[in-house]
Amino acid sequence: MVKKGQLKIQQMTFMLIAVTLFFILVGLFLLSISFSGIKESATELCEENALLLASKIANSPEFSCGESFGTTKTNCIDADKVIALIENSDEYKNFWGVSNIEIRKIYPEFSTEVLCKRENYPNCNVMRIFPEEEIEGVYVSNYALLCRKEYFKGLVGGGCDSEEIETVEEIIYDECELAKIMINYEYGKEC
Amino acid sequence: MVKNWFSLKSKIKMNRKAYLQFSFAWLFAIIVGAFILFLAIFFSAKLINTEQTIQDAKTGKEIGILLNPLEIGFESGKSNSITFPVETRIYNKCNNNGEFGRQIIQVSQKSFNKWSETEIDVGFSNKYIFSNGFAEGKKFYVFSKPFEFPFKIADLIYITSASEKYCFVNPPEEIEKELLFLDQENLIVKNCSEDDVKVCFSGTCDIRINLNTKQVIKEESSVSFNDDALMYAAIFSDENVYECHVKRLMKRLENLAILYNEKAIFLSLKGCNSNLDLLTLINLAQDFDNSQELNLISEIAEEIQEQNNLGECKLW
Repeated sequence: MVKKGQLKIQQMTFMLIAVTLFFILVGLFLLSISFSGIKESATELCEENALLLASKIANSPEFSCGESFGTTKTNCIDADKVIALIENSDEYKNFWGVSNIEIRKIYPEFSTEVLCKRENYPNCNVMRIFPEEEIEGVYVSNYALLCRKEYFKGLVGGGCDSEEIETVEEIIYDECELAKIMINYEYGKEC
Repeated sequence: MVKNWFSLKSKIKMNRKAYLQFSFAWLFAIIVGAFILFLAIFFSAKLINTEQTIQDAKTGKEIGILLNPLEIGFESGKSNSITFPVETRIYNKCNNNGEFGRQIIQVSQKSFNKWSETEIDVGFSNKYIFSNGFAEGKKFYVFSKPFEFPFKIADLIYITSASEKYCFVNPPEEIEKELLFLDQENLIVKNCSEDDVKVCFSGTCDIRINLNTKQVIKEESSVSFNDDALMYAAIFSDENVYECHVKRLMKRLENLAILYNEKAIFLSLKGCNSNLDLLTLINLAQDFDNSQELNLISEIAEEIQEQNNLGECKLW
């Protein structure tokens, strides 16, 4: 036969277990809310990083024109240097804290997307720094000037009305095109 | 009388029984209650610690991201400030491993008069921050300078606490001009006070700079520099932080030199020769051990810079 005192203890035990479980559940609920916030703020920080990079990366030493094309230009990308960077991109993994960087020529326009490699350069329109990486996630972009050295060998001078004699000349000149630099980052990925 | 005594005794016995029954229930409730309270307090404290650690890590990452414009040279030669709502310690650590090494920031903030303990490292491969092992305060000053050796390698970022004042005693004109232009409150050129860290270019001071041998001498340490950017780096940072970042800079120099070398080969096919001895620079950067070797690389870097300036096609 259960005594009155024992019954009270049983009641109290059940009550205490119920109260404990309640608090544990509330705690778990709060924790899950708090941790979902962490992921959100991590993504926000990645976005902020990408935004700032997009506006400035063209001036970093790996991309910038420097004085190669006359005076120092801001937001000018040296395509000849970038093609070398693409070939050595393994060393630069995680260097900028973004998933990928892409430079797209926007003028003159190309009918199709042609990824730049040493073999087809400069007859291409997309320079992807990590070409083997699949592009996922979100882009942040900014406009920049994409410059390279070009070589010309041909007849110079002469003409219908001119008495000047045509000569074969070799000229190295600067070719600059309008491009868009795109910074790719992924949600929930470390940046 | 005897009867009365017996009745009193039996009453006491009864009371004792009641007292025992009541006290056991309470005792049980108190023990279990205390246990629950202990668990609640324990987990709350853990949660607060976790939240503080998250906050510290977030602040560290934010500092790094906010420094992005400085890293790419837009804000070179300008002083900026970062102000925190609470007393903060910014720990500056450096790691040499990997292709470029890593700049590590740890942040600890004061809460309830106690510094938060954080072991979360926030790392960046493309930043070079020069400061003491840790800078403490609410307000921090930040400025940057480009480091070129011979081409631009990176922008060096200098962080100092507003509470730590550096007084430059009789600096050369160029440095004085630069410091005045920076207009940073904790970098003083005239009227030093006793508490300031004194930086002098001759005589004995807290920090001595020898412009002839290109050395910065502190209490027990001496490091070498080759230009103003590295001179400021040596002034504002510990020997360990300085040497580690100089090594990281040489790693970046090596990788950039490889890019320029490939660009040179590519351009030479187009008939645009540059004839720079970049391979020697790459080898020297690869074997770089400490700042004392900067002078050796400096000579070759100067030669390469001259050749680049005179070349048909400038590589940078």
